[in-house]
Amino acid sequence: MMIEALQFEFMRNAIIAGCFASLICGVIGTFVVVNRLVFLAGGIAHAAYGGIGIAFFFGIPYMLGTLGFSLLAAMVMTAVVLKSKHRADTFIGIIWAVGMAMGIILLDKTPGYNVNLMSYLFGSILAVPNSDIWWMLGLSVITLFSASFLYRDLLAISYDDEFAKLRGVPVNLIYFLFIGLIAVSIVIIIRVVGLILVIALLTIPPYIAEKYSRSLAMMMALSTMLAVFFNITGLWLAYAYNLTSGATIILVAAAGFFLSMGLDFLLRKSRTDYQNL
Amino acid sequence: MNHPIIDVSGLSFSYNGTPVLSDVSFRIHEKEFVALIGPNGGGKTTLIKLLIGLLKPRQGHVQIMGKTPGQVAGQIGYVPQDLNINKSFPISVMDVVLMGRLPFSRWTGLSKKDTAAAISALESMNMLDLRDRKIDDLSGGQRERAFIARALATDPKILFLDEPTANIDSRGRSELFGILKELNKTKTIIVVSHDTMVLSSYVTAVACVNRSVHYHDNAEITEEMLEMGYHCPVDIIAHGLPHRILKTHGNE
Ligand SMILES: Nc1ncnc2c1ncn2[C@@H]1O[C@H](COP(=O)(O)OP(=O)(O)OP(=O)(O)O)[C@@H](O)[C@H]1O
Ligand SMILES: [Mg+2]
Repeated sequence: MMIEALQFEFMRNAIIAGCFASLICGVIGTFVVVNRLVFLAGGIAHAAYGGIGIAFFFGIPYMLGTLGFSLLAAMVMTAVVLKSKHRADTFIGIIWAVGMAMGIILLDKTPGYNVNLMSYLFGSILAVPNSDIWWMLGLSVITLFSASFLYRDLLAISYDDEFAKLRGVPVNLIYFLFIGLIAVSIVIIIRVVGLILVIALLTIPPYIAEKYSRSLAMMMALSTMLAVFFNITGLWLAYAYNLTSGATIILVAAAGFFLSMGLDFLLRKSRTDYQNL
Repeated sequence: MNHPIIDVSGLSFSYNGTPVLSDVSFRIHEKEFVALIGPNGGGKTTLIKLLIGLLKPRQGHVQIMGKTPGQVAGQIGYVPQDLNINKSFPISVMDVVLMGRLPFSRWTGLSKKDTAAAISALESMNMLDLRDRKIDDLSGGQRERAFIARALATDPKILFLDEPTANIDSRGRSELFGILKELNKTKTIIVVSHDTMVLSSYVTAVACVNRSVHYHDNAEITEEMLEMGYHCPVDIIAHGLPHRILKTHGNE
């Protein structure tokens, strides 16, 4: 049945888009999870809605408007985080809400706008145009290149930024660069699962992978594989049972998450039972 | 007299307006073994961070080998006080120790020399067989050793250790001080520790840190503190310690 579905271009595009999104999620999501940047990523995702509003209102290309605005929001948030790590959440929360509100008003005021709002909230992986596939390809290459080029620096900054600073690693610069990449990834993944669910796809696979990984690189690879699995399974279920694809993908990921938690619990229990014999 | 390796003058620092250190001046010479002592919250960690350039002084200056701490960062080894940073982070002991070799060339990555330095640092801390373990799976004392190995991997001229013995058992403690004494033949060592008894037989100077810093070279303390009953104008708690050091020292 999946084979039969593959003859449609939209289905092929969906799978390709899902794989690119997974690769980006695996690499960037790992960085988000180990650096405890989940809230910041949520802020960027919702601020991105302001970018969508700007793009439609001023008639600029979707990717350009959304990317530009999200990057701007991300840079402002990073500056605040770097200045006061423990006070940044209030500020992020404000940008989160302002971006969202701006998007709603701008879309209200856009003449003749009647695109389904739901497709941005929950994604439209089955309607990914070819041009977006090229965007994704380009950004995946940039993401992979940055992550491998800066791997040791990233590892040091994520684990112990103070020590990294002492050793002369340009901590702030790399921080800005990577949060910029988070913004870019989020804009892309919004295409697949929508902005409400992007955080789940960005964080669930790395969260599961973290327990089984002995290094950051392994965590990235494992998360990517998990994300691909969730995406394809979700797509297939959505196609087979005629469900909303973004939501289905997330539910599959969530199922995977609870399964891993349960498995973990049983493993630990059996180990202690064994010790108590 | 030769030039001091660390020269601090008129140093003051405050966190958001709360003064922590005020008007601190002292000099440390090459191959000294300096103990920083003082009560909790006295400013020992802050002082170390100022010395290595992680914090910037509000007033005064710190010079290391005649330069700013930032310029000589490559010669500085540092073992932080808090080792529970980022729990559950997936990183091996070896990768933590390799951080001491940063920054790497981004094009060629790790060199054989880097790996060799990390391995010999692990060896000197008796940690080589644990190098592939996840850092999170180590005991407190083992983690402490891993972080000391990370500082040693740099092959620094000056080694700063912030309470390195807090998690180490008593045998490990004298072992560690033995290692430090050995390292002291080629390196200047500055260590924060409440183990004043053990330390007393190793150190060449003691600094009491409590808002202000009172720096005592060994000879100076013996005369002034024991015979003349000299009292530093600092807190009683900070104060008991150097006297005790002296007594043990004098009675030996
Ligand atoms: N990041 C910070 N922000 C604000 N105040 C701080 C910060 N770090 C330390 N302080 C304050 O500065 C003072 C000195 O702290 P410091 O950590 O240097 O003490 P310490 O001598 O190392 O103490 P301990 O023996 O407990 O390690 C304390 O009163 C502390 O509350
Ligand atoms: Mg301290």
